[in-house]
Amino acid sequence: MFKDNDGNSIMKFLKRELKPKAKLLTPFNLISIPIILLGLGLIVIRFWKGLGAITNLTQEVPWGLWIGFDVVTGVAFAGGAYVVTFMVYILNMKEYRPIVRVTVLNGFLAYAFYTGALLLDLGRPWNVVNPIIGNNFGTSSVLFLVAWHFLLYMLAELIEFSPAIAEWLGAKRATKILSGMTIGAVIFGITLSSLHQSGLGALYLMAKDKIHPLWYSEFIPVLFLVSSVFAGLSMVIFEGSISHKVFYDQMSEKNIKSQDGIIHGLAKICSVAMFAYFFLQFLVFLHDRNWEYLNTPMGYWFLVEMIGFVFTPMLLFFYSYRLNNIFLIRLAAVLTMIGVILNRLNVTVIGFRWDAATHYIPSWMEIVVTLAVIFTEIWIFRWVVRRMPVLRESPVWAKHDHD
Amino acid sequence: MDGFTYNNIFETKGIEYVAIVVFFAILIPFWIVLNRQVKATKQLQKKLGILTAKALRIPQGIFFNKDHTWAHMDKAGLARVGMDDFILHLIGNVTVKRMKKPGDAIQKGDFLAEIEHEGISLKIYSPISGEIIDNNQQLIENPELLNDDPYMKGWMYKIKPSRWIAETSSFYLAEEASNWSAKEIERFKDFLAASVERYTEDPSLLVLQDGGELIDHPLSELPPEVWQDFQHSFLGNKSKYPHFRGLGKQEYGPEYF
Amino acid sequence: MGFDRRNFFRTIGVAGVTLAVGKSFGSVTTKDNIVEFQAMLYDSTRCIGCLACERVCAKVHNLPEPPEGLKAGVVRKTTETQRVAINNCNTSKGEVFVRKSCMHCNEPACTAACLTEAMHKTKEGPVIWRESKCMGCRYCMVSCPFDVPKFEFHSANPKIQKCDLCYDRIKEGKIPACAEACPGDALTFGTRRELISEARKRIFENPKDYINQIYGEEVAGGTGLLYLSSAPFSEQGFDPKIQNSSYPALTKGFLYSVPSVDVLLPPLLLGIYAATKNNHSKEEDNE
Repeated sequence: MFKDNDGNSIMKFLKRELKPKAKLLTPFNLISIPIILLGLGLIVIRFWKGLGAITNLTQEVPWGLWIGFDVVTGVAFAGGAYVVTFMVYILNMKEYRPIVRVTVLNGFLAYAFYTGALLLDLGRPWNVVNPIIGNNFGTSSVLFLVAWHFLLYMLAELIEFSPAIAEWLGAKRATKILSGMTIGAVIFGITLSSLHQSGLGALYLMAKDKIHPLWYSEFIPVLFLVSSVFAGLSMVIFEGSISHKVFYDQMSEKNIKSQDGIIHGLAKICSVAMFAYFFLQFLVFLHDRNWEYLNTPMGYWFLVEMIGFVFTPMLLFFYSYRLNNIFLIRLAAVLTMIGVILNRLNVTVIGFRWDAATHYIPSWMEIVVTLAVIFTEIWIFRWVVRRMPVLRESPVWAKHDHD
Repeated sequence: MDGFTYNNIFETKGIEYVAIVVFFAILIPFWIVLNRQVKATKQLQKKLGILTAKALRIPQGIFFNKDHTWAHMDKAGLARVGMDDFILHLIGNVTVKRMKKPGDAIQKGDFLAEIEHEGISLKIYSPISGEIIDNNQQLIENPELLNDDPYMKGWMYKIKPSRWIAETSSFYLAEEASNWSAKEIERFKDFLAASVERYTEDPSLLVLQDGGELIDHPLSELPPEVWQDFQHSFLGNKSKYPHFRGLGKQEYGPEYF
Repeated sequence: MGFDRRNFFRTIGVAGVTLAVGKSFGSVTTKDNIVEFQAMLYDSTRCIGCLACERVCAKVHNLPEPPEGLKAGVVRKTTETQRVAINNCNTSKGEVFVRKSCMHCNEPACTAACLTEAMHKTKEGPVIWRESKCMGCRYCMVSCPFDVPKFEFHSANPKIQKCDLCYDRIKEGKIPACAEACPGDALTFGTRRELISEARKRIFENPKDYINQIYGEEVAGGTGLLYLSSAPFSEQGFDPKIQNSSYPALTKGFLYSVPSVDVLLPPLLLGIYAATKNNHSKEEDNE
């Protein structure tokens, strides 16, 4: 079979790679392991006794935290992948190349895990193959489109990331072939992304009377698409800052030096995108004559989201970009992420049937399962980053003059 | 739409999605084929013939000088000299303008003859020193003798050499000459690429792919500045320092100064 | 109510003819062999609140007995164990009974929403749920403006529960169990076309007994369950926000744009890529 970079056989190589690469009892592990185990237990109960055993879902609010947060919000944050690949491969902005691989990896893991979380939420998951194999193809459904785009997008991201896997395994020819497919996968990925990011918003179009007017409009798909741009980039800034500290030993010299410049550049893009988004929201507000709702509790909550977590971080990105203050940029990114979480939850859960007799509040068990999914994703991320050339440079034989 | 019978506004969505998948499947080969390198030069080559080291006629027994002139000692001790067909392939048909007269003494590196192609001239310099015994006057009226047969009927001078052994010791002979000729072609390609970029508007006709072949008479399309550079790089010019004009990666050894 | 001709004939008919004939109208297929929607007309002026419909529905569909008692002003909803619920509403016209169950819309939101076509609008009219295809995603519940589908959250093999107009019985030539069981002729089963003209007739002939609206004629783009009542429908628990046009049409704008985006974005991206690629290689040459 093929040998790895040092000429060892593949079995020896894998065995070596599977061993843990750091201490086992880190603070993160001590917190995440019990939660993951507890989550696994809860999942067993969920399949044994039905969804109602661990969730607070009701007949009027059938989609709760798992869909509203794990899937809808999680996918918005994974939007960094399509934006960054667009910048690097289509617009040829080479200064962002150091973050492409880690962003694509994050995107792929996000989609993979949140699709997994979705499987937990399905009431009859054994039938999940039905819309895939044709029993039947519900082509009138936005969810059909979103589901298929998720699947195809994961495939595209896997192809985009696969050169890193091939380089890790030392498969020279495979690396070359897969690298040649990158641009096709990127174009495919961007097309799919724009449709499913907006598609997640389009899911709620038929729930016209059920979502609070301040959050429902026919423009939800467009708003979701635009906000996925700065949601994804904010996540890139946030996650990049953490990786910088935690995985410092993995980062190449070039990556370390370019980090601040990249964050600075992303801040500019975020501020522009949020500026446009804020005015889109304003336009929708005018179009639907929503001012009559402002003087209500939901109205105040809407203002909190818009002013506090869209307008404010937009200004903060602007200001911190001009001053080149990395700390303020990171703060703006965190505020933006909170704003995106609020927006997605407002559309899907908080504003959904806001007038119902019993409000939906997620149970602690739903929260634990959500955390378990996120922690498991971080574990896999950590495993990959410590072994494959994601944050560090590719092996010498894999360097191409253009990629 | 009447409210009394079944109506599906999304009826065609299924077939539309299939059509989109087909579109992607066709788009990929469509784009790849569209972007294959346009092989204009190959078409020209088919028409004009391909210049390769093999096509250069390198007769055995002839000594080649690095300025692309040759010398051949016959049994009588007289050396015939001429120019090689490297130049002919690069320029095309030439006419001979000025020649030296019999009885003139000549040193190695002295002016020997001037050849011309469509108004641009190149100078040929002597490979050996000695006394000119005879010149091939016919070349001036019948340049095709030179163009068709530069090694036999196209001989330029018969010279009685004064320092044959010393001067020809650095010349190329037989297989060496073939190798040198191939190297000169590569060197010319580099020269051509550098000159073309520097001097022409649309280099697409003469763009060489890696491993591609020269079209015949590539110099004929190029401006006079390139000819001057060519003179200095390939045909020698001992009267003044060559103007290198930063011609790139060629290495000029001590013999050029 | 008035003793009109229809009622006269029906009373005669009841004596000699089977109940089924009296509760249903006409033929299903028109002369061009196009199948027309079957529908149900609920006339709340004839409903006596006996809950026979609830009980027989539970029996036919193997569901537990519905709770007894009908108190004015107390909301009774359909649940994952109850497909039809009668409510006693306090309205401006006094106590009025109203049936709550699946509306069997002409263009159902649930059917458009279902990605496996488990929710299916049959040619005959009823909207049915097909267990073998359903994956329990509950998107139908999110989309239904009437909040009809109910999910068995406490089951490991959960089903969606909602009225299916007894589609199996219809296929056998029978009428829905509730229509058959109703002692007061509040429920009439027939083609939608005929039921609407019947409803109009009733309003025209008894203008003081009915408000001038057939609920379901236009709401959500037209539904299969049609209502006649003496009181305004907004007072009977029907959400006035529900629009009079089809709900799936709300997603039309998005779904119709998908092919355009899928076809136009890749060439556009290829074009930008090719345009910026030259910059890339030029920079390299100048290094």
